[in-house]
Amino acid sequence: MRDGPGDRAPLGGRPRAPRARRIAPLLTAAGAVTLTALAASLALAVGGHDPGRVASALIGGAFGSPEILLSVTLVRSVPLILTGLAVVLAFRAGVWNIGAEGQVDAGAIAGTTVGLHAGGLPPLLLVPAVLVAAALGGLGWALVPALMRLRLGVGEVITTILMNFVALNLAAYMVRGPLQEGRGVFPQTDAIADAARLGVMVPGTRLHWGFAIAVILAVGVSVLLHRTRTGFRIRAVGTAPLAAAISGRIDADGVAFRTFLASGALAGVAGGVEVAGVTFALYEGLSPGWGYTAIAVALLAGLSPLGVLATGILFGALEGGAGAMQRVASVPAAWVGVVQALVILAVLALDRVRRHGLGALTVPSAVVVAPAQGDGSVG
Amino acid sequence: MNAGGPRVRMSAIVRRFGSVTALDGASLELLPGEVHGVLGENGAGKTTLLNVLGGMLPADAGTVEIDGMPVRLATPRDAWRHGIGMVHQHFKLVSPLTVLENLALGYRVRGHGMRLPLEAVRRRVSALQERTGLRVELRRTVAELGVGARQRVEILKALLREPEVLVLDEPTAVLAPAETRALFELLRSLAAGGRAVALVAHKLDEVLAVADRVTVLRSGRTVHTARREETDADALVRAMVGDAAATSRAASGAAVGSARLAQLRPPMPGRVPDPSAPTATGSPPPADVVAALEGVSVRRRSGGRGDASSGLLAGESPPALQDVSLDVRRGEVVGIAGVEGNGQRELALVLAGRLAPDEGRARVPARTGFIPQDRTTEGLALDLDLTDNVALAFHDAPSSRGAGGWVGWMPWATLRVATADLIARYDVRATGPGDRARALSGGNQQKLVVGRELRVSGDLLVAENPTRGLDVGATRFVHEELRRFVGRRDGPAPGVVLISSDLDEVLALSTWLFVMAGGRLIEAPDERRSREGVGALMLGAAP
Amino acid sequence: MAEADLVLYLEASVRLGVPLALAALGESITERSGVINIGVEGSIIAGALGGALGALAFAGAGPGVAVGAAAGLLVALVFAAFAIGLGTDQIITGTAVTLGGIGLTGAVYQARFGTTGTALGLPTLSSLPVPGLSSLPVAGPALFDQAPTAYFAYVAAPLLWLFLFRTRWGLELRAVGEAPDAAMASGVRVRRVRILATLFGGTMAGVAGAHLALAHAGTFAENMSAGRGFVAIAVVVLGRWNPLLVLVAALLFGAASALQFLMQALGLDVPYQLFLAFPYLLTLAALAGWVGRARAPAALALPWPAERAP
Repeated sequence: MRDGPGDRAPLGGRPRAPRARRIAPLLTAAGAVTLTALAASLALAVGGHDPGRVASALIGGAFGSPEILLSVTLVRSVPLILTGLAVVLAFRAGVWNIGAEGQVDAGAIAGTTVGLHAGGLPPLLLVPAVLVAAALGGLGWALVPALMRLRLGVGEVITTILMNFVALNLAAYMVRGPLQEGRGVFPQTDAIADAARLGVMVPGTRLHWGFAIAVILAVGVSVLLHRTRTGFRIRAVGTAPLAAAISGRIDADGVAFRTFLASGALAGVAGGVEVAGVTFALYEGLSPGWGYTAIAVALLAGLSPLGVLATGILFGALEGGAGAMQRVASVPAAWVGVVQALVILAVLALDRVRRHGLGALTVPSAVVVAPAQGDGSVG
Repeated sequence: MNAGGPRVRMSAIVRRFGSVTALDGASLELLPGEVHGVLGENGAGKTTLLNVLGGMLPADAGTVEIDGMPVRLATPRDAWRHGIGMVHQHFKLVSPLTVLENLALGYRVRGHGMRLPLEAVRRRVSALQERTGLRVELRRTVAELGVGARQRVEILKALLREPEVLVLDEPTAVLAPAETRALFELLRSLAAGGRAVALVAHKLDEVLAVADRVTVLRSGRTVHTARREETDADALVRAMVGDAAATSRAASGAAVGSARLAQLRPPMPGRVPDPSAPTATGSPPPADVVAALEGVSVRRRSGGRGDASSGLLAGESPPALQDVSLDVRRGEVVGIAGVEGNGQRELALVLAGRLAPDEGRARVPARTGFIPQDRTTEGLALDLDLTDNVALAFHDAPSSRGAGGWVGWMPWATLRVATADLIARYDVRATGPGDRARALSGGNQQKLVVGRELRVSGDLLVAENPTRGLDVGATRFVHEELRRFVGRRDGPAPGVVLISSDLDEVLALSTWLFVMAGGRLIEAPDERRSREGVGALMLGAAP
Repeated sequence: MAEADLVLYLEASVRLGVPLALAALGESITERSGVINIGVEGSIIAGALGGALGALAFAGAGPGVAVGAAAGLLVALVFAAFAIGLGTDQIITGTAVTLGGIGLTGAVYQARFGTTGTALGLPTLSSLPVPGLSSLPVAGPALFDQAPTAYFAYVAAPLLWLFLFRTRWGLELRAVGEAPDAAMASGVRVRRVRILATLFGGTMAGVAGAHLALAHAGTFAENMSAGRGFVAIAVVVLGRWNPLLVLVAALLFGAASALQFLMQALGLDVPYQLFLAFPYLLTLAALAGWVGRARAPAALALPWPAERAP
């Protein structure tokens, strides 16, 4: 995916892209959601379930009441927004970071460690310390694949996926060994210090301040990409690496490397926020695949940081409703993975068709570039 | 020429690419025993017409008749079956495979079934080499071959199938003059043997030297067909270009825009903001020398990084730069001719400060304009808009507000105005700065790149094949701008390095003339300043 | 160390290496045609479930392998439809296919067998000793007393080598992977070749999955492929896209993964998770040490036809 959506300028100062270009990613997203819903309904019907019943269970589990909305859907959307931002940032720079999952784990480990062992500090210092540690953990986890890409030219897709598996095992080891709870019975850590926890944002719910952090970071990433020089370089390297490098003013490899690390840091923060805001401890399998869901979140948002807020909440709703779906309609929760895959495929396909017309489906001709034009009219 | 019907008759061929109509009812007739030249500007549709004949592209409308019978040419195989062989402008060869394997690719030999018929192919190729004199070592990989040898492989591949019609697309673009002569002799002998040979070129004198008849295409239509005796260069040029003068007029720049742009002008040389600039050591060069290379050598690089390849030097093995020394002075155009692939790319990158030499010393200004030869992948970010593309050259200049550097704000308002200014000044046909670069035609894209690089150049501009693929009007425009740039009176005059495989262009524009051959730079003394003279130098070290 | 221990170690090495070899051999053909199929992991897990279900349905391991192969092929078909048919980005499409495959197999398994997690009793692929060869000292029982799928891998490697370098189709396949435009101009049907190569890769991965379920573990568990598909992709790189070297690399990998048994036999006390993480760490190290010298097919992962100008 080399191009992003038509640029959106949240804070003005940039010419807005022509309306057609701004709407296109929204249409793609809407189309993808519709197609996926249709495909999923079909699959459910084939499997003997009633799509309507499943849908209502899903929606009820996600939006049934304001309490549910805040405590379940929005809470579950926080890690998805943060990992979604990580993926958006990386993809925009042309870095295929499929390792957000492992970076989340690494961040969670780092954040928990600080939360357990720095208890003397006041919350004003401890909470940021936990989050910074988490960011560094995620960044460190991205460092190996990023260095391998920069120095050795090794593709980051496989290396980041491999690091996911290593992180999984590292976390499992940590909660059974060095970080294990005092009692030594279960594979989990003690609860982190009270001062290290993110407080509740809306009283009476479980919505914690991590949500605000996610929103702020989303805005921050958007401003970075569209208003700063660094963001411009990132976008240039992501869509046209050769042109960026040849301009002589952009160190394409360096930009990609640093963005890779930043992406890891964002994913790490997701892990730290989850520990500091929801679980207050670390255990095995903290992430039910956020790093992979993040890819669907990012693509559905058209790689837009602000769009990730919307799609993150959507997928948070999906996750929140999945439990109800399993209870009420006895549909296995694993279907959520299928839905995510369908969303990604639908976005890819619609994006392709949008840009190349339905001709994309026919047999191509051999010569693929239109002949050089003289002073012709604009196509 | 034989009497009798045409071997090939193409009528009313229409072919569109999206909203662009490349062929608008073109026609072509090829008679057996003749060499037929197809002329036209870049963009006239010559290559497209030939691709239709070669089965590479289906036509949207129109008919093709072979020996009077209508045929369908949907794939290259269809074309072979009807005896049409094609030699492409951009060679269709697989580099890592050997010459023999390339020749055997897709070639079916009866009775061999699934096995690779290498021996059978080898025998046939040897016979062919005897007859035509086209010698290539069969066991070497294509990657090891120079451009001239690769073309011989392309031709052998086409001749192997014993075509009755041979079609060649711009074969002379990559050849030195002596090689062109040898090719033309071959074509004449093939025609004399009864074949129909069609040759696309956009250089008039070449076509007139070899063709029996010519057809001229303009804007996708056939506008003129004549026997060589019946026409002359002037008539052909008129047919190619049309009666109206095709020069595009540059609009005067907006005064306000220029003033804004001045804020973005780079600081004087001496500051080194970009990370890839080489560090200068020793005493500075004399004041009127803007760039100096001493004993510069560059090794070959392999390309590809990560999962998103960004190799500047990736691709077919260009030879390294070997011990190059060069001074570029103010107010002068250093012209460097040569067949592509002899180190021009490395030289361009070193001069433009994009590449540090492995040996020797390169003193170049901190800010150099660079017009790369491939505008779609190197000059522009096609999926970004025009303002973004102009920003590629200016984003690290001090902005109108705030500090520069790491977290600096992009001066979008200024850049937008500057882009509009560039669009007006260089007559870029676009709706506005918000257009996506991909939407522009090739000529307009190049004009934007040229305009941008001229603006950003302080003391030095490096141009690599800047008029490739442009029609006459756009080419003239670019040449005019280069001359204007180097003759600038407001402030110290800059220097220009023009690297081009178009001999005429280099001869027309340069103050000093050099030739690149085999990674070395050879000065062309005054007595050699002609096509023949330079051509001889080009071949001196050619592989 | 006793000879018996060595034999056990070698036998485990081969047993662990075989599914890698099968998947990697298939993927090497796919990648030689210029397509990188990250969805091979999805094909493996589909093959595992297919193998389990097939073996139960037809009361035999053999039919199970066939069903597993078909399942792997189906998953690859989905990938091919999007990545080759529509030209979507190969990497993201492959990731999506893997996610979908893992989710779908998990959902189907849960629906059919519930969520209790007890092991299925599957008819297994028992080892077939090769007469004569299996009596060779040390190597004999290790290499030649394996499930039939292992022998299939041994035979497939040289056959694929011959295919690639000695047949017309192999030449066309290699050309498609290096220079698809040139191949098309030479009359090769590029898309068709790529689709066939991808389907072949999926089928091999399906067999690998079936081997996992029926010969290796004897049961199906959710996510039991455990990243072997990704390791297989790395094995293809290490084997430089050459079937013979790929087989060797896969077996070496099996040997490295089997070190855990050796360590246990030697009584070394190493955390269990380190054993589990070891194959992945090893893959990373191997990629770091090797990749500079290998050259991928030039058109790998690039969509064909390339982006059109408007």
